[in-house]
Amino acid sequence: MNPYDYQTFRIAYEVISAIICLVLVRFMIKPYQLTKESRYLGLPLGFGFLGATYALAAFIFYQPYFFGSTTIYLQLILRSFAFIFLVVTYYFSRQTADVGRKLWNTTLAILIIAFLTLFLPVIIPDIALPSYQLTSSFTRVFNLICIIYICAHTLRSHVEKPEPETIWIPFGYIFLAISQYLLIIFAVDESMAAWWSALGIRWVALAIFLIISCRSFYCFKRGD
Amino acid sequence: MKKIARRDKLKIYGDLLTVLCAESKEDKIVLTRVQVQIKVPFDRLKTYIRELDELGLIQDQTSLRLTEKGKQYLVEYENVLDFMKRMGIAYR
Repeated sequence: MNPYDYQTFRIAYEVISAIICLVLVRFMIKPYQLTKESRYLGLPLGFGFLGATYALAAFIFYQPYFFGSTTIYLQLILRSFAFIFLVVTYYFSRQTADVGRKLWNTTLAILIIAFLTLFLPVIIPDIALPSYQLTSSFTRVFNLICIIYICAHTLRSHVEKPEPETIWIPFGYIFLAISQYLLIIFAVDESMAAWWSALGIRWVALAIFLIISCRSFYCFKRGD
Repeated sequence: MKKIARRDKLKIYGDLLTVLCAESKEDKIVLTRVQVQIKVPFDRLKTYIRELDELGLIQDQTSLRLTEKGKQYLVEYENVLDFMKRMGIAYR
């Protein structure tokens, strides 16, 4: 594939990923809208941040020199925080409402401070940043650990109350984990097969989330 | 004795509307049967029913039939609960 075609493909790919995430945010915010429980805010925040990283990736491919090289670091930070938000949401969903609410509010405050602390060195010029290869490898491993935790959590929920419709979301997260793992493989040995597989599997994961969300809200159920 | 998890008001409203919707298929809604199903003391059940009436989710406190608003709320409530269950998130 010539560089121009590759650039066009990646912009289209990332834009579609971002749009899927944007649609997912609309569904993910519904538990918060109904319950007004702030501990469910992590779901829309997580998928929102994930969508923002895809949109940013599309922009980087479109205008590589617009914001400078620090944008790619911002993308790494946003993606890690997306997975952190999802992890804390799943973690606090097992707590009782009172405990979960207090702990979530504290955790959210800490996460915002941590995000700003990490964000500032990226936007301030003349600050020496660590090597991108090293940082991206580290964050991908961290993201993989986060997704594995979510997979374990969702699988445990399924095992506790096994129902056919609850198995798909663990699969979605497993595909997301495989995608992250393949990106680590690509970072280590630059295998293009791993790279293309990672892109394909990411779409499979996002498609599962989208289909499950649509089935929850738009499908004819319970023989009503 | 099995301990019942503490529910917030929203969950109780949701559970109560679900039971009232199911019971409305009968000729008459019997309050004691509703009480047994949602597991709250009778005086608190009366309070919740008054609150549902004030919110316009039931027609009145004697017939206990759901209004259109009540039916819409129940559909949304069940959809969100179903979505959370599918996502592997417990609502407690």
